[in-house]
Amino acid sequence: MDGERDLVDYAVDYARQRGATYAEARFERQEPEQFILKNGTLDALYVGADRGIGVRVLAKSGLGFAATNSLTKAEVKAIVDDAVRIAKVTKRSTPITFASEDPITTNWSVPEVTKLADVPVEEKIQTFQAIDKSVADLGFKIPARYFQLSCNRIAKYFANSEGSKIASYSPRLRTSFFLTVVNGADAEQSHREYGWSGGWEGIRELKVMDRVLDEAKSMQRSLLEGKKSPEGKMDLIVGPQVSGIAAHESCGHPTEADRVLGREASQAGKSFIGPDGLGMKVGSEVVNVCDDPTVEHAIAFYMTDDEGVRARRRYLYKEGRVNEFLQNRETASAFNTHSNGASRAVNYNVEAIVRMANTFVEPKDHSLEEMLQDVKFGVYMKSFMEWNIDDKRYNAKYAGREAYLIENGELKHPVRRTVIELTTPTFWSAVDAVGKDLEFEAGFCGKSDPSQALDASLGGPTMRLRNVYLR
Amino acid sequence: MEDLAAQIVSKAQKLGCQDAVADVIQNRSYQIRFGRNEPVISNRWREAYASVFLVHDKRVVATDIKDLSDIGGSLERLVKIAKASQRNPEYAGLAKGNFKYERFRPDPKVLSLDNGSEFVEAAVHGALDQGAKECAGSFWRYEDEHFLATSNGMEGHDHRAGLYLSIRAMVSLESSGHGIACASRLSQFDPEKAGRKAGRIATLAKDPKGGKAGRYDVVFDPLIFGTLTDQVAGRLSAYSVLAGFSPFGKRIGKRVASAAVTMWDDGSQESLARKKFDMEGVPTKRTALIQKGILKTYLHNTSTAKRYKTRTTGNAGLISPDPHAVFVKPGDWSKDEVFSEVKDGLWLTNTWYTRYQSYVKGDLSTIPRDGIFHIRKGEVVETWKDIRLTDNLVRLMQNVVALSDTTEQMMWWGEVSIPNFVPYALIKDVNITRSAE
Repeated sequence: MDGERDLVDYAVDYARQRGATYAEARFERQEPEQFILKNGTLDALYVGADRGIGVRVLAKSGLGFAATNSLTKAEVKAIVDDAVRIAKVTKRSTPITFASEDPITTNWSVPEVTKLADVPVEEKIQTFQAIDKSVADLGFKIPARYFQLSCNRIAKYFANSEGSKIASYSPRLRTSFFLTVVNGADAEQSHREYGWSGGWEGIRELKVMDRVLDEAKSMQRSLLEGKKSPEGKMDLIVGPQVSGIAAHESCGHPTEADRVLGREASQAGKSFIGPDGLGMKVGSEVVNVCDDPTVEHAIAFYMTDDEGVRARRRYLYKEGRVNEFLQNRETASAFNTHSNGASRAVNYNVEAIVRMANTFVEPKDHSLEEMLQDVKFGVYMKSFMEWNIDDKRYNAKYAGREAYLIENGELKHPVRRTVIELTTPTFWSAVDAVGKDLEFEAGFCGKSDPSQALDASLGGPTMRLRNVYLR
Repeated sequence: MEDLAAQIVSKAQKLGCQDAVADVIQNRSYQIRFGRNEPVISNRWREAYASVFLVHDKRVVATDIKDLSDIGGSLERLVKIAKASQRNPEYAGLAKGNFKYERFRPDPKVLSLDNGSEFVEAAVHGALDQGAKECAGSFWRYEDEHFLATSNGMEGHDHRAGLYLSIRAMVSLESSGHGIACASRLSQFDPEKAGRKAGRIATLAKDPKGGKAGRYDVVFDPLIFGTLTDQVAGRLSAYSVLAGFSPFGKRIGKRVASAAVTMWDDGSQESLARKKFDMEGVPTKRTALIQKGILKTYLHNTSTAKRYKTRTTGNAGLISPDPHAVFVKPGDWSKDEVFSEVKDGLWLTNTWYTRYQSYVKGDLSTIPRDGIFHIRKGEVVETWKDIRLTDNLVRLMQNVVALSDTTEQMMWWGEVSIPNFVPYALIKDVNITRSAE
């Protein structure tokens, strides 16, 4: 990567010569390998070899970004000229500024026990064909079985005009499945996604085969034994998948500082939390929600962000109150604080903006059995299918995939399509017990324009909510 | 660049590939994002790469080659991977034919446009002039050039360009409106109009109160109706149907919408997605999707067409068939007549986060955003907030009772993924839910 490093360093130096008050350049090489297995048949295999350089500068009052995949000095010079020129012509009443951060020189990489590149594509395909066959052999009527594997190896080199020079390597593995199980005219569908930072050992660690078979069996049981979910106010126990999506949607997104400030208003929206919202009560005292890029093997693991700031755990909600916003250097400057290392870009050709990484409800000490004991009547929603939330992150909906009736502390028959449709404070304020069984799933988090669908982990333990309205 | 696509195909054939497609793309797009009424970043791209599709002994492999200085090495690696892969028995080859492509060129005034600041200022000014206080959005000058070659001898060149602006205007966090401007010609680009619309809706949406759950007759503004038609078109890709992502399976020839609905896909008509050919080199054309409510076809490439015993519709992408641009036939109602038809209902202007509980059934929900209005006899009587549309895609389309007599080109972040030319629509008996306290 020496040639690329030279080009990055050149871009930063040349931008300063051209009048940029701040300059950074980021080289990325991504080597994705993806395939889809549809009803046992291998669809097209995609093997990419993506690389390029993006340059971002502050000049006069504006911020400019330009990118190229042509790694020549002439082309890098051209994008620097572009970035500086478009920044300089920007008319603003106040200049864009970045919070000051210490420069970092480091080199980090994610351990890869079995290198993704060393596992032949045949073996990867066969692994999923074996999973597909096991599902088909269950004997259920499953007209659509859809498996996807994505492996990616991401190498980066970042430098800025303040002296940061950071090289990194992240191998990542992501697998998802989408099943349709039918019974006559009735159908149950499920989509699940898991991710891993590391090598091919992730397939074993993620227990993909077990998860797929368990899901297919629960779908069949829902079809055959499922009854209408009860409606009204009752207790609710949610599984880690539901905790995780709530952590991401109803905590992570509303605490993104760029959203709070209105930079994303036209696309991903704003936030019900205003710029002065730190300390605002949004949940019960047992609710702690974190975002932490340093969770080992989580798919959004990183040690430094795409602005060269060291990563750390952020307590977004602490004891039920808004505790910290996710910040990059631009938003941190507006809040007169420091970045907490939350700036990421999906590739070399887009700007880094405020993003979640691995967002989760912090586990406590309850077991599922302990939580069930105190529930006279309610629902245990283990997982969900449909979900959405409004653009101020206040009104969320999670519709159950796998769910069971609870009566006198015991799980009964499956119930279908339980709907949680609550406001964010209503949801978090109802939590009275948090489990110890922290689990993560993977997701793509969408934001920005051009849209950046970025690796994210969504995690949490089982939680109990008291007296909430369910449909 | 002109010869590179053909060189890639030739090299692939020499390496033993039976079928090959190369689409060499030059991207020269430019964008300004703005927030709180001012530009927040300007972006510019200088990219050139090749999207490549190869078939070796029915083993299908695709890639994007970013290092154009090492085409040979990239192809050799790709063919090696293909050989180690598995056959796809559903692969049925590439389109063949003596295809002729339309001649059209992008507007030179769009190509020479170097700074979009004035368009951002015009849009923001339009919104503020209507009473908005804060605006955010993005301006785009799209430009990409395609050089396509296939192993069946197809060669084509397509230079595409257009202008786009999306603006959200806000009076407060809960009082907002959205406007869109799309044009292939500079003379037709009107960002100020988009700003005025966004500002007008935002101002009208002042002081909203919590909406009420129930069933309502709803006027869909073009932007939110475009979300529905975009969903329909996407779910009509044969690939979606085969993978279980569509409620339209086994419904060809059946009623899937009211008789008021006629819609088609057409990549050859002027739009932000106008293109001469698909990824197999098949000329784009008009393809009837729904005719007076009856489903006419899925969207196909050569492989899915063979499976359904029909012909490609010219919608091939690198892997799966996809819609190009959606056109809804306008109705014979004026916009005022559409609104007046609603005795007691809603007017929705935008939505986001459309998600399915069951794709095969079409059960979905989506969250209206920006202006949400309770209307009686066409007049706004209240502004609402915090509601959700929870219904079924096919049922919604079957309940369309009126379409206005003009259409607008809509495309928006996430929800309207391709250009949709849509009118105002009145849909009866729409299910609205809301969060419980």
